[in-house]
Amino acid sequence: MEARRRAAPGTATNDGWAADGSEGPVPTGYGGDDEKDVYGKARVGYGTGRLGPPRQRAQPPPESFAEFIQQNVEHVPPILYTLLSIWTRCYKIGLANVVVWDEAHFGKFGSHYLKREFYFDVHPPLGKMLVGLAGLLAGYDGHFEFKSGDIYPDNIPYVTMRVMLAMFGIGMVPLAWYTARELHMSRRACHLVTLMVLLDVAWLCISRFILLDSMLLFFTFTTVFGLTKFHNQQYQSFSPEWWFWLAGTGLSIGAVCSVKWVGLFVTALVGFYTIEDLWNKFGDLHMPIRVYARHWVARIICLIVVPILFYMASFKIHFLILNHSGPGDAQMSSLFQANLEGNDFALNPLEVGYGSKVTLKNMGWGGGLLHSHVQTFPVGSNQQQVTCYHYKDENNQWTVLPAWGETPYDPNADDVDFLKDGDVVRLQHVPTKRNLHSHVVPAPVTSLNHEVSCYGNETMGDVNDHWIVQVVDDLHRGKKEHVGRIHSLTTRMRFRHKVLGCYLRAANAILPQWGFKQVEVSCDKEDNPNDDHTYWNVESHINPKLPIGEMKQYRSPFLRDFWHLNVAMMTSNNALVPDPDKEDILASKPLDWPWLHYGLRMCGWGDSQVKYYLLGNPVVWWGGTASLIASVGVLAVYLLRMQRRYNDFEPGEWEQFLYVGKIAFLGWVFQYLPFMIMGRVTYIHHYLPALWFSVLMAGHLIDHFVFSSKRLSERTKQIVFGICAGAVIGTFWWFRGLAFGVEGPIGDQKGLLWRKTWNIYD
Amino acid sequence: MSDFRARRPASPPSSAQPYGKLSSAPSQRFPPRPKDRLDADERKALATSGYPRQHHPLGGFKLSSGEVKLLILVVVLAAFVRLYKLSEPNSVVFDEVHFGKFASKYIKTRYYVDVHPPLAKLLITLVSVISGYDGNFDFKDIGKIYADVPYVMMRALPAVMGLAVVPLTYLTLRGLDCRATTALLGSVLVAFENSLITQSRLILLDSPLIFFTSLSTFCWVGFSNEDKAEPFTEQWWFWLTLTGLSLGAVVSCKWVGLFTIALVGLCTIRQLWLLLGDMRVPPRLFVKHFCARALCLIVLPITFYMAMFEIHFLILQNSGEGDGFMSSEFQHTLQGRGMADTFADVAIGSEVTLRHVNTQGGYLHSHPHNYPGGSQQQQITLYPHRDDNNNWIIRNALEEKNTSSTDLVYLTPGMTVRFDHISTNKRLHSHDVRPPISEVDFQNEVSGYGFEGFEGDANDNWIVEIESGDRKDPESKKRLRTLRTYFRLRHPLTGCYLFSHKVKLPEWGFEQQEVTCNKNAVKPNSLWVIETNSHPNLPPDAEKVNYRIPGFLAKFLELQRVMWDTNAGLTDRHVYDSRPLSWPFLKRGINFWVKDHRQIYLLGNPFIWWSGTAAVLAYAAVRGFLVIRAQRGYKDFLNTGVVKADQLCGFLFLGWALHYLPFFLMERQLFLHHYLPALYFSILLLAGVFEVVTGALRPRVRLQIAGAIAVVAILTFAYFSPLAYGSSWTRSKCMRAQWVKSWDFSW
Repeated sequence: MEARRRAAPGTATNDGWAADGSEGPVPTGYGGDDEKDVYGKARVGYGTGRLGPPRQRAQPPPESFAEFIQQNVEHVPPILYTLLSIWTRCYKIGLANVVVWDEAHFGKFGSHYLKREFYFDVHPPLGKMLVGLAGLLAGYDGHFEFKSGDIYPDNIPYVTMRVMLAMFGIGMVPLAWYTARELHMSRRACHLVTLMVLLDVAWLCISRFILLDSMLLFFTFTTVFGLTKFHNQQYQSFSPEWWFWLAGTGLSIGAVCSVKWVGLFVTALVGFYTIEDLWNKFGDLHMPIRVYARHWVARIICLIVVPILFYMASFKIHFLILNHSGPGDAQMSSLFQANLEGNDFALNPLEVGYGSKVTLKNMGWGGGLLHSHVQTFPVGSNQQQVTCYHYKDENNQWTVLPAWGETPYDPNADDVDFLKDGDVVRLQHVPTKRNLHSHVVPAPVTSLNHEVSCYGNETMGDVNDHWIVQVVDDLHRGKKEHVGRIHSLTTRMRFRHKVLGCYLRAANAILPQWGFKQVEVSCDKEDNPNDDHTYWNVESHINPKLPIGEMKQYRSPFLRDFWHLNVAMMTSNNALVPDPDKEDILASKPLDWPWLHYGLRMCGWGDSQVKYYLLGNPVVWWGGTASLIASVGVLAVYLLRMQRRYNDFEPGEWEQFLYVGKIAFLGWVFQYLPFMIMGRVTYIHHYLPALWFSVLMAGHLIDHFVFSSKRLSERTKQIVFGICAGAVIGTFWWFRGLAFGVEGPIGDQKGLLWRKTWNIYD
Repeated sequence: MSDFRARRPASPPSSAQPYGKLSSAPSQRFPPRPKDRLDADERKALATSGYPRQHHPLGGFKLSSGEVKLLILVVVLAAFVRLYKLSEPNSVVFDEVHFGKFASKYIKTRYYVDVHPPLAKLLITLVSVISGYDGNFDFKDIGKIYADVPYVMMRALPAVMGLAVVPLTYLTLRGLDCRATTALLGSVLVAFENSLITQSRLILLDSPLIFFTSLSTFCWVGFSNEDKAEPFTEQWWFWLTLTGLSLGAVVSCKWVGLFTIALVGLCTIRQLWLLLGDMRVPPRLFVKHFCARALCLIVLPITFYMAMFEIHFLILQNSGEGDGFMSSEFQHTLQGRGMADTFADVAIGSEVTLRHVNTQGGYLHSHPHNYPGGSQQQQITLYPHRDDNNNWIIRNALEEKNTSSTDLVYLTPGMTVRFDHISTNKRLHSHDVRPPISEVDFQNEVSGYGFEGFEGDANDNWIVEIESGDRKDPESKKRLRTLRTYFRLRHPLTGCYLFSHKVKLPEWGFEQQEVTCNKNAVKPNSLWVIETNSHPNLPPDAEKVNYRIPGFLAKFLELQRVMWDTNAGLTDRHVYDSRPLSWPFLKRGINFWVKDHRQIYLLGNPFIWWSGTAAVLAYAAVRGFLVIRAQRGYKDFLNTGVVKADQLCGFLFLGWALHYLPFFLMERQLFLHHYLPALYFSILLLAGVFEVVTGALRPRVRLQIAGAIAVVAILTFAYFSPLAYGSSWTRSKCMRAQWVKSWDFSW
């Protein structure tokens, strides 16, 4: 094995990495000098095509400080860069003493953890719990409202909180260095990549506030780093280091997905790499099936099970912390809410009777409360709208009344008729006194179903107001056979329209603006007994004639709540659709991002305010995008040349070139393209994770063509490096004010308007 | 360890050569060489000059006289099933509503807009004109009895095209080097496929589409064979040009034809890629190959496609139902929509009409009806037609009434003006009241307000903001010029912009388009332009302007965009629509026509349909299995038999996939008949699989199997034929034919 090395071991001094790069992968094929040593080879790596790093001669323990430095000289640049990043990330971090931009959201969510009130948000909880933790450590008590633009009172330790969250931004810089190293980039390329990460103004700006983006970026970086580290351990599968980096990658996948769902995109990159890797191993005839199966199992455990457990654990903690009733209750199932402290559902009278005022909760995932309001449908029947609404409101209340023609309900009578399975009822909307009604008119969105509206009044109505109560089951008493009277909270039931035979259903179809983007309620002709969206339960129940219920202790199962919350998050996320008529100067389209078409004003633009403008370092962004486009061209040219039998690469070099290119290009594609098909409103900061891959591609290409080139002289490389680094540093210095905060009139800052579309100036 | 060694073929030495370079040793298993196949030496000898060039048949199609007779028999049978009782039913069926109507429009030369390109509709029109149709039937509803319409001739065109697919199937399979038995089987299956029959017996576009799809495939196969024999011969150019033309035709029938282009495109790329790897081909020759294909397969289809639209525009010269979809410039080219020249300079006191730029909603309009809600003041809407109620007079808001002044005060940016509605004496007004439909906080209502003698209030004021002018008219950026200046109107008190969007008012607003004042207005929907303009003080010889007449290219591109938008907007559910996943399994058909207890219901021949799907799945499974085997070191792909089978089936599978999978990305409403081009390929693939599977059998046995399959197919066809012909059926047979619960024809 030793004979194969082109560089003698131990010569990997300062500029030895280029040599490492060409040395890593060596083609296996059959034959070669060590054809005979099949078993020896199998023990090492089953022909993974990868050899380990050059074996370092074991170094003696350092005896002096100078020797220590000398032995660890490779870690000096990242340390210096980290120190620099501490300066950039924390310099004047408290300059703006107001709530900037989305601090209004995330600061508030952090406060909810400190107050332990249940809230609802579209993002998973990890990032916000870390905000809460930062607040806790900083001594914040959670009693600030975080209204956008408000000045922080003296007792709010916002600077400490910002500094703690800036740690994630600082961490990006050394990660960038070591990732580039693991990708076997030359020393100059590592410097360039790290400089780009250190000096991008958008990454800098977004890391300086109480936001989730710095965490998302940090965990994206750790995931890529873990992946590259793992890749380099492949020559010794199942070694402790191999396990460590595989598990590390899995954990950071769990973390990145628990901050924002956008983390799934970087997960896709890991997934792609893993599938390709397993496919290649499948083709390795030296590898016994048993070992191959172990590879599968190891990846399933570390890359699927571990992240899912991590993600679920973050929700478990979320539920454990937030055990008080709060603004997000209505998103959850009635049973979950009954378990929150400060909620009065447990005081509901147990059995529902005629004359009870109830709210009805849809039991589909993310379901809301049956709702009506005075506005009418502009289409179809033009009668009063019926929707599903996620917040508590007077308009959610319905009175259970007997059908027309039966003995009318007498509010003064003492005895109560209880509701049971099969009863025909009329549901009267309490504020408008209209009855829940359905007829043969197509529903506005789900046009195959019948429309549900509110019609008539206390004395007027028709048979289309009649609904049959059909019990499905009871969460306490079990199957339908055991259910006598309808209980609040626990009895699941369906409402069948007596005349049409259709079922009251609220799926996740959103009404247009005229319906206030609430959820459509329709009457489904198909009788699908397993459809959750046709299940309803009584949530709050008021009937002065009945005794108040007892505080019952029953737990809502975690998995059910977990899944329920996730579907609700998904539904709300999809509902973040921009109004096409409303100009939103903050939003931007994915196509605007790679060429930095727009920036984003993060706060008010008054002369006396400190102004922050989210804008990338143009050299970094444009360079990254240009190199992504160039990479496609380069790949095409190389493939065409190969087809014409030109030999441009040393053995193994092509695989390495392709590997780095794939990580960078596919990473970018997975991070960027999904935004193109997403219906929801998008902002420029959604591009920030993708930017990391475009930076990697820039480093990779410039490394391939300049720094690792065998044709160019050392002097040329020096000059190219100087120009690139100079450009990055120069533009950073030019635009630094946008991230550090502009005091005084913006007009005083000259020459920032490099593109006409940037709204930096008024 | 001994496992994998055993799998390696014994012959190649275990040297360090990669797989690809291993030359496969000739094996005894391969059949003896056919007589007309040459080995390398012979071919080399052939290439040297002076050697008599060996004749090869046109496109590689060599048919024996026996099979020609059989083919004629199949065609006659197919003609019978397609033309049988073509005049029944004698009323409008399904989409004949549309495509018959379009023929009437062509004859009447009235402009219309449809989501499909014109070729197939032009052909139908041609036939109907030749048969003496005068265009006076309105094709209003399904079931309307035809009167004075040569509908049989019009139906005959799709029927004949559907018929032509049968021999094309045969020839394509023969061109792909299949045996006559296979090709015969394929053509019989196509001939007796119920849905293809049903679809081709009516005035619909799918039959021409499938015809041109199969023609393109056929031509491509012919070209490939020529290319293998010898490039750049006359025959080679002939087939290449024909491929290009038929690709142009297929995409000129329906945009689905793009999938056929994708198929040919991918195959071309593969051809070129292999050519590039052929070191005997010098770069210059490669460039020649590349350019020839680019010319014939890209330029030619595009030219053909555009030519169809040129014909379309030449025929449709008069205004018609489709005007509303098009821009004002476009409408101006239609007779009956033209506009007289109008004065260019807009000044205080001008009488103007304002048109909304971004939607085709029309002109700022008011009429003596009030909003039922909100402020209950007079309605302001957008109205698409010319009308006196669109006329407004521009007044200066800040000065006293300047009636005496004779000099013109031009409208410049920043000027505050009012708009008086002439016929009702109201002013354009806005206030902090929510509009009737778009009841959101950033929208304000716009109304007509005022009465005789009322001076007006500040809510009547509007500030002119010029957005863009015309490049050729520099003045138009500095002041308001008719038709040339796009401007916005800002309401100074509330800061909102006069705005309109594609939202219709209900009946009380006569379904005209809503006009609002939007505080966060998106720019395109808040742009306005002055369309007509007159001023009492302007001399009659003052400068006049009119719309610039767009050239063909501008009209063509605009129509493409309108077609695209209309197509994307077809998202409503239809009772018989379906999603792509259900198609290969024939879950449900389409009800075409019901009358007098008879029904036409589009349903495939289940036997052929499901077998085709099975063939697709089988090929995918086997191919996947082979890939997995290859990864484990098995060298199946060095076996010429496998390679040949894979090339045949792979091509057809690709055709199927490209005509099917893209539908998953489409949001619009989809129907079973969108699967028919893919079905055609699945039938070809079925024949291909038959060819491969029966390869080792004796010809006689193979023929018997093919015969059995054909008989089952024909029996199934006969069983379901009443649904295709709309002929009478007994109730019990109908009920029994409901093999799948979701086939909803028997109710």
